[in-house]
Formats: sequence, C-alpha cells, structure tokens
Amino acid sequence: MARLRYLGRKIAWLAITLYGVVTFNFVLFHVLPGNPVQLLVRSGHLTQQAQAAITRVYGLDHSLIVQYLIYLRDLLRGQLGLSYTFREPVSTLLGQYLGNTVLLLAAATLLTIAMGVLVGVIAANRRGGRYDSTTVTASVIGWSLPTFWTGLILVFVFGVWLHAFPIFGSQTPNAVYSSFWVRYEDIAAHLFLPTLTLVVVNIAQFVLVARVSVIEVLAEDFMLTARAKGLARRRILWSHAVRNALLPIVTSSALLIGLVVSGAIEVETVFSWPGMGRLVYNSVLNRDYPVIEGAFLVFAIVVLLVNFASDLLYQALDPRVREA
Amino acid sequence: MPAGIRRRDFLKRAGLLAVAVPGVATVLDACASVVPTAKARILRVGWTIEPDTMNPLTTYSTEAVEVLQLVYDQLMHYDLELKPEAGLATSWTYSSDAKSITYTLRSATWHDGKPFTSADAKFTFDLIKSSKASQYYQWVQSLVSTEAPNATTLVLHFSEPQAFNPGLAVPIIPQHIWTGMTGAQIQKFANSHPIGTGPYKFVKWVKGTSIEIQRNESWWGTKPAASKVSWILFQNEDVMAQGLKTGAVDICPEIPPTIWKGLAGAQHVQTVSLPSFSFHHIGINVSDNPKSGGNPLLKDRAVRLALSYAVDRQQLVNVALDGLGTPGSTLLPVGFGEWHQDITESQQFNADPQKAKAVLTAAGYIDRNGSGVRTSKDGKPLSFRLIAIQSTSVDVAAAQLFRDACAKVGIQLKLTLLDANSLGGTVYNAHTPNWDIFVWGWDAGVYDPDYMLGIPLCNQIGSNNDVYYCNRHYDQLYNEQSVTIDHAARLAFVHEAQQYYYDAAAYIIMWYQDKLQGYRTDTWKGWQRVNGGMVLNFTRDNYLKVRPV
Amino acid sequence: MVRPVVASAHVPGPDEGPVPNVAAEPVKRGQLRAVWQYVWHDRLGRIGVIAFVLVVIFALAGPLIFPFNSAAVANTSAGVLLGPSRRNWLGTDELGRDVFREFLSAAHISLEVGLAATAISMILGAVIGIVAGYYGRWVDNMLMRLTDFFLVLPQIPLVIALAAFFGQSLGIIILVIGMTGWPTTARIVRSQTLSLRERQFITRVRSLGTSDARILRVHILPNVMPLIFANTVLVIGGAILAEATLSFLGLGDPVQVSWGTMLHSAFAAGAIGRGAWWYFIPPGLGIVVVVLAFTLTGHAIDQALNPRLRGSR
Repeated sequence: MARLRYLGRKIAWLAITLYGVVTFNFVLFHVLPGNPVQLLVRSGHLTQQAQAAITRVYGLDHSLIVQYLIYLRDLLRGQLGLSYTFREPVSTLLGQYLGNTVLLLAAATLLTIAMGVLVGVIAANRRGGRYDSTTVTASVIGWSLPTFWTGLILVFVFGVWLHAFPIFGSQTPNAVYSSFWVRYEDIAAHLFLPTLTLVVVNIAQFVLVARVSVIEVLAEDFMLTARAKGLARRRILWSHAVRNALLPIVTSSALLIGLVVSGAIEVETVFSWPGMGRLVYNSVLNRDYPVIEGAFLVFAIVVLLVNFASDLLYQALDPRVREA
Repeated sequence: MPAGIRRRDFLKRAGLLAVAVPGVATVLDACASVVPTAKARILRVGWTIEPDTMNPLTTYSTEAVEVLQLVYDQLMHYDLELKPEAGLATSWTYSSDAKSITYTLRSATWHDGKPFTSADAKFTFDLIKSSKASQYYQWVQSLVSTEAPNATTLVLHFSEPQAFNPGLAVPIIPQHIWTGMTGAQIQKFANSHPIGTGPYKFVKWVKGTSIEIQRNESWWGTKPAASKVSWILFQNEDVMAQGLKTGAVDICPEIPPTIWKGLAGAQHVQTVSLPSFSFHHIGINVSDNPKSGGNPLLKDRAVRLALSYAVDRQQLVNVALDGLGTPGSTLLPVGFGEWHQDITESQQFNADPQKAKAVLTAAGYIDRNGSGVRTSKDGKPLSFRLIAIQSTSVDVAAAQLFRDACAKVGIQLKLTLLDANSLGGTVYNAHTPNWDIFVWGWDAGVYDPDYMLGIPLCNQIGSNNDVYYCNRHYDQLYNEQSVTIDHAARLAFVHEAQQYYYDAAAYIIMWYQDKLQGYRTDTWKGWQRVNGGMVLNFTRDNYLKVRPV
Repeated sequence: MVRPVVASAHVPGPDEGPVPNVAAEPVKRGQLRAVWQYVWHDRLGRIGVIAFVLVVIFALAGPLIFPFNSAAVANTSAGVLLGPSRRNWLGTDELGRDVFREFLSAAHISLEVGLAATAISMILGAVIGIVAGYYGRWVDNMLMRLTDFFLVLPQIPLVIALAAFFGQSLGIIILVIGMTGWPTTARIVRSQTLSLRERQFITRVRSLGTSDARILRVHILPNVMPLIFANTVLVIGGAILAEATLSFLGLGDPVQVSWGTMLHSAFAAGAIGRGAWWYFIPPGLGIVVVVLAFTLTGHAIDQALNPRLRGSR
C-alpha cells in the first residue's frame, strides 16, 4: 500500500514537472524577438493583407495566453502544430527524423554500456596490470575529448586514411538495394562512425563504475569463503560483482541517455546524420517554434521518463536505500 | 510596381553556414551489393540547404524553386543567355498600350495524364491574384482581369504597362488539383506530390537526405538526357565539396570561397566563378520616424559619406571573400550587365580616408577631447552600433574590417553579432527601429532591375526598405522605369535611379560576390556558363541540355 | 551536455536517503595536508596536478608575453591560412592572424568561462543541496522537483533565446552552463548532507537547541566542503567542454575568441579542406589537455577523500 502511494506520488510529481517543462518551453520561444512569419513574408514580398492571413492561419494573431491555451489543447490531442518552415504537421516531421536519432542513440547507448561494463570488469579482474591502467587511462582521456572534435578526428582517420566507412548521411544516396540485409548493411556502415564517436566519449563512466564495483566485491570477505568452497572465480565474479555494479550502472545509464540525447546534435552535425538534433538546430535558427517545442518536448519526456524509471529500478534493486 | 528580393534564402543560408565540419574524402561504399542506380543517367546536385515545401504558392526558398521549376512549366522561361524563350506559351504579344499581354499556348499534358488548357493558366493567375499570399503576387498586383477566349489563348489585362513580363516568373498549376481551396487551405497544403507539366515528374523527398525527380516521357519539349535528377543534402560545405571530389555528386551550385579554392586542381573537377545577382551591403538607418531609436547623426549625409569613404571595398573582397568578388557600388550588381550603373573610380565614395576626414571636419565633426572619436558641435560623439549576422562569416569579417577602418577616421563602431532572425527582427521593425548600422545582403529574385530598384521605395518601409529611405524623386524615377517599355529609355531611367540612390549613401554596397560553383568533368558535359550560376539560377536550361560523357 | 562526474561511483537519485557507502567523516585537522600527500603520490594525480599548473601558467602568462591583436587582419588573401613558419609558429587563421597568439588568448578565455560557469553551478548546487538535505520534507521535495526541471533544460535553445535579446556573448554562455550544471552537484551534496544529518553528533547538538544556522555553518558545511571541492574540480572540465561545444555550434562570442570559437571559425573557413591542421588541431588538443588536467586532479582528490574509492588503485 505504502509502495503504491509512493508510486502515485512520484507519478504526480512527474506530471507536474512535465507540465512545468512544457510551459517553460512555450514561454521561452514566444518571447523571443523575431517572428518567423514576419521574416518569411518580408522576403516573399507580401501585402499587409497577405501577412495578416498567414498570421491568422498560424494562430499568431491571438494574445499569448490564448496561444498558450490552444497549444495545450492541441497537445492533449496529440497535435504538435504546423511547422513554419515546412508547413507540415510537426508530428509527421518529428516522426521522419526521430527514427534516425533513435537508431543512433540506441546503438550508442547499448554499446557504451555493454562495452564499458565488459572492459571495466576485465580491468578489475586484472587489477594493477597493464590492461587495467591502460583502459582506465584511455577511458579518462576519452571522457576529456569534445564529442564534435572526436567525430572530426574519426572522419580523418577512417575517412581519409583507411577509406573504410562513409562519413555522411544514413544511407548511400540514390542507392538500390538487392535485399533487406544489404540495406541494413549500408545503414550500419553509415552508423558506425557516429556511434563510435559517442561510445569513445561516454564509455569512461561505465568502465570506472564497473571496475570499482567489481573490485569492491572481490575484496569482500564472502569471496574468500566462496573460493574456499571451490567455486570458480569467474562465476563468483559474474554473479556477485555484476550484481553489485548494477545499481550504479542503472543510475549512470539514466544519465547517459540524457547526455546522449543532447550529444546527438554534435554527432549529427559532424556526420550529416539526418536526425532530430539537426532538425532542432536548424529549426531554432529559422524560428520554427512548433518544431522546436515539439522536439524539446520529446527530449524532455525521454529524459524525465528514463530518470523516473531508473529511480524506480534503483528502489527496487536496493533494499538498503530508505526514503528521504 | 513594387518588387522584392529573395532575402529569406539569404537568411537560411546565413543560418546554416555556421557548422562547416571537415569531412575529408567521402567514401562511397564500393561494396557491389549496394548499387546506386546507373550513376551516369542520374544527375546529382549537392547542396547544404533544403527546400521548405513543394507547394509553389507557399514556398519562399530558392532551393524549392530550383526543384519546382523542373516539375512545373511557366508560360515563358529564361534561356542560357537569360533571354525569354517559349515555355507553355509559344508566343506572346503586347497590346498597343502595353497594358495587355496575349499568350498563345501549346498543348501539353499534366503528369497525371489530364490535358493542359488555357483554363489552367487562367486559373493560376486568378488564384495568385485572389489569394494574395505567395511570392508571385507581386507580379500580379496591377492585374485587372484574365481571359481565356479559347483553349490555346490567354490574355492578361493590367492597369499599367508591364516592363517585366510575369509569364517569366509564374509556375502554371493544374486547376483540377488546386480548385476549391481557400487561402487558409493553400497555406496548409503540403503538395507532397506536385503535378505539373514540366520535363520531370516528382518522385520523392526524403527529408534531411535527398529529393528525386524522374524524366517526363511525354513532355512537350526536347527530352533531357538525365533520366533522373537528384538533390543531395549535406549538413556542411566541406563534406559537400568532398562529395564532389569523390564523385558522390556531379555539381555543387554554391561553394564558399575558401573551400572553392581548395577544389582547384582536383581531379575531374572544374570550378567556375560567375558574376552573381547578389550583393552584401552596410545599411544605415535613415528613418524619419520620430520613434526611431537610430542615432540622428546618421541622417547627416556628411557622416554617411565619411563612412563610405573610410572603407576600402577591394580590401574587403580580398580578405572576406578571398578575392572572389567585385568591389560594390550601385544597386544592381555587375551580373546585370548593362543595367548596372558603372561609376568611375574617381567618382566613387570609396577607399579614401583622407577624404573621409576632410568631409567630417568640414561638417564640424572634430576630435574635441583627444579620445580619437570625433564629436559634433554639441558634443555628440560619432559612436554607432553595428550589427551583423554571426553565422555569415564573410559579414563578420567585413564588419570587423569596417569597424577598424572607421576607427582610423575618428568614427567609433560597436559591433554586436546576432543570429539571422534576431537581426531580421531588429531591422524590419519599422515602427520603432532601434539600430544604427547593419551588415547584410540581398539576392535578386528575378532577372529584372525592377527587383533591386524596388527596395528603397517609400511604400516599402516596413517591408523590403530596410533602411527606411524615402524620397519622392527616387520613387518617381522608379515608377518611370517600371512602365517604360522602350529599352533605351528604360535603361536611362534605371541608371539615373541607381546614381541618385548611390549619392544618398544610405547603402554602402561592399561587394558583388561571385557565384562559385563546381562540377565534375567525367560524368556530364555541356555545362554552359550563365551569369548568376549554371544551376540554382533563373534558368533551368542547363539541366535540360547536359549530356552524359 | 554536462557530462556526469566520472569519479563518483554513484550519483544519488533524488529520492534516496543518505548514501550508506560514502564515508562522511567529520573534518579533521591536517586533512588538507593528507589529501595533498595522497594526490601527489598517486601517479595519475601527479600528472593531473602538473598539467593543471602548466595550463594555468600558459593561460595567465601566455597572453601577457604573446598578446593577441584580434584586429590585426591581413590585407590580402595571401596572408590567410598559412602554415607554421618562423614568424607564425602555428601559422595564420582565415583572417591572417597569428594562430599561436590566438591559441593562448583563447586558452585564457576558455578557462575563464569554465571557471565562472563552474562557480555559478557549484554555489547554486551546494546551497540547494545543503538546504534540501538538511531541512528535508517539503522543502526537499520542492527543491528536488526544481532540480528535475533544470536537469532537462537543453543548453542550445537557452543560449539562442538569451542571445536574441542580448546578442551573443561570453556572459550568456557562462550563465547557461552554470544554470544547467548545478542539478548534479545539488544531488550529490544533498545526499552527503542527509547522511551527515543522521549522524549522532548532529542529533545530539540539535537536541541541545543549537540554531540551524550554527549547525549548518559549524558542522555541516565544513564536512561537505571537501566533497564540494572535489566535485568542483571535476565540474570545471565539463564546463570547458560545454563551452567548446556551444561555441563550435556557432553560439559563442566571436569577438572574444575561445578554443571552441577557433574550431568553429576553422571549419566555417574550410580549414580542413585546405589541410590547415595548425588551426584546428591545437585548440582541440588544448581542450583535451585542460580537461584531463582537471579530471585527473579531481579524481585523485576524490579518492583521497573517499578511502573506499582509494582501494581501487
């Protein structure tokens, strides 16, 4: 019962935070000087009546309060408005770009966590050795690299020297694929470098976290007992150590997703990856409010949900943690 | 007839020029199982800005028009010498008072199979006139009525003689698709499968990636050699240039100066530099509006003259454009040929700091307190706010050079860099303009002097007239040229108008940048050089005339 | 865009109680000395400190010895993007200016922005974290909701929004990075505070009737300071990276050039296409070295303070 009430409270708070985000979002973009329709019509050379007509179509002739209420109403219906630049529904637009970003982020996140943990566990196992110090140093250096700069260097190395991977877009333009698999292969080839960039830069967190957790476990008393009993070291390692590492990994993962979502802009820019990061950046420059609001909302929801889920998961996994 | 200029593509360009990231050699997967369709028959164009929409009545982007001009036909088109050639109209005649134009139309078919008739043409002009909301409206402002007496004739009646024939600008749209739409519906109509009569049919637009069109086998004209044309979007110019080098694209219509120079000597790549119809300028707030927050000292012509004399336009071209442009002077860029008013160097208000100082001193502005900044008789310093768009690096460079040059003659400029939209919002606020000097630019939308000359009109304040200049005599000169059909007479008016505006020194036109393009020599041949660009220009003929190598 | 603090094995969630594993010992005298000893003897820590000192010397003395004149632009295109020579040790940029001097001046700016932004985020984070942790209940709840909200604020639209009003400047970058950087610190500090609050000596002192203010000042604050300090050093690295990214995307201050702005200009001018490596490799390396310096030092300090982490060497 108490658990359920607790959950209910948490969800309520989540909703409130979300509402705050939506409102802040709206206010931020509507107090900015420079009206896209105004700018748009100037260069198209329209008469006053025409400008007024366009303003009406986009609902910009209402007061800010009314615009805000209309925005909320549409939001509840799942409509995110009409893009100023493309004049298409924002949801359609986001849908077209979202898939690409999700692909990139999913690949990057999964690989970072998986590889980071693996490397960290091995490093802990071989603690003090060359593998250990090399990987720790390498991860820390990786963390210090600016994401966009890393992308550039990778473009140099893999693009110019090794000629191994494509460096722009998500698919070869005008390509005709002989089968499903060939298409996926092409996409994977394009996905490789952007993903690698994100992994290199973010892996440190997981390497260190996994490493520390495993070392702690290895030092515990019960380990001696288990080994005395004859259990294989490796089994002990994996069943106890990884479980110990699970909690901090969960929290780190939540943080990672938030990071990767915003880091997507840099990577998508460097590699011309047609995803939401690029869409957002261009939309901000063009004052395409509906798109910015829509994209920002999606980002915020993702981050909030992920944090929420990780908090819950943390609660579930660690009985030692008390409520505040 | 007031005219406008396509500025918004400027803004878009400015907004997106920022992030040029190095790509070096692009890699096209050599893997045999990924087969880009028979490359030789696809003409691939590389660019960094996407169109906004495929709806010709709501688009304001040059890139969209570039695609749409191959899908839709106009009554007339520009040929490779920018002279009118037959389109859907095989011939056209003016009435004796030049207020009516009669077009004889050919037979053609829409891409969905339905026949094209004069009813479609009449519908198009009527719709543009009644909906008032498209970039083409400016050409039909004095349109009084339209007639389609039979299936192959269209007559347009205007209230004034038309020096510019609107048949050169307006795409003809099918009545059976567009009929019945209200203004609001047109605004929201995405037109994702445009149907026209043009040489190419629309295939698809993968947002953020590419646009593809394919040849219309039942087109009325000589069929082009390219079975498909595809525009590929790059996020930045460096990667695009690498795409040209490695053969991922066949032509790039817009390359920034430094990158363009880097392409020289690349294998199988030919770079071209063509005169453009664009300029970059320094605009000075000369508003008479009492609510204007602009510095009133700028209304003194002596100050503006000094600002003009202070700067060396050739230096600006050398440093900011890497030498790839012509120093600017009058309103019509040199690309306009004889329309451009040429002022002899000795008569130009250019590159003469001594003269600038003399002019200022004679007008009573001297350095009264040794600060290096001159002040007026009542102690107001010659200190002004200068704004420029942060992401247009050539403007930023120019602004810095301008500021330093003015400092040498005793004028202080405080530079602030804004993003494109903020600058636009600041400048276009005609009610309470609060700025002094800006750095910006203009592109011409049509190959006619009407556009550029139409900027500094009194009735354009609040619209294209970004410096709020208003002068009756200038307005008169403009009106004369827009209704004069006789070429020589019109030329005289056009020159006089430019000279008059130049003397007012409200604009300091810094340069006419070259249009820098590059194309591959091993895929398509027959590229003709045209003022303003081989592609991404007013003429589509290069697309139609190139042949595979 | 704020990278999580690497050294902490665990960043506490908002609803967690005091983290049981973090050692929250009351401050002893001589701890500072002990920390220093540890850091200096740790290999990576020493590298970090040396790099840190070098960086500071470079950034402070560099622009004084080799001042950068941003107005010294070339008059012709011949002076643009030249390679390293005896006259220009790192060649020239796209306006013909000396890259080496620009690099030093940019070092100064980048560090300045990093430090200022960190100061804002640390002060905010510490204050909010302590208040939330100490007072608990609804105060804690409200502040943690506030933290959640700021956690999802993206930096780019914020910078653009502010820049639209005030023009792009360093001040805006500093403000935005500071405003988006404090939530993580707040959570860490709150967790530590909670754990301290539950300790016996605090409960005893409270029952004696000591005022909150005194408890905070005398007992809580000194015990939280070491953690804050360790965290600060690490956060600086993140702030410098954030500034570089924002500037690279074109949102920085183009007049006061930072490393990120240099990289932005390099790319906008097609330096890569021209192979002008002297223009875009040094700023990137500079960022890496600086961030590494702070990270290694901070990591070592963190370990010095938390003996538990220490065992992992």
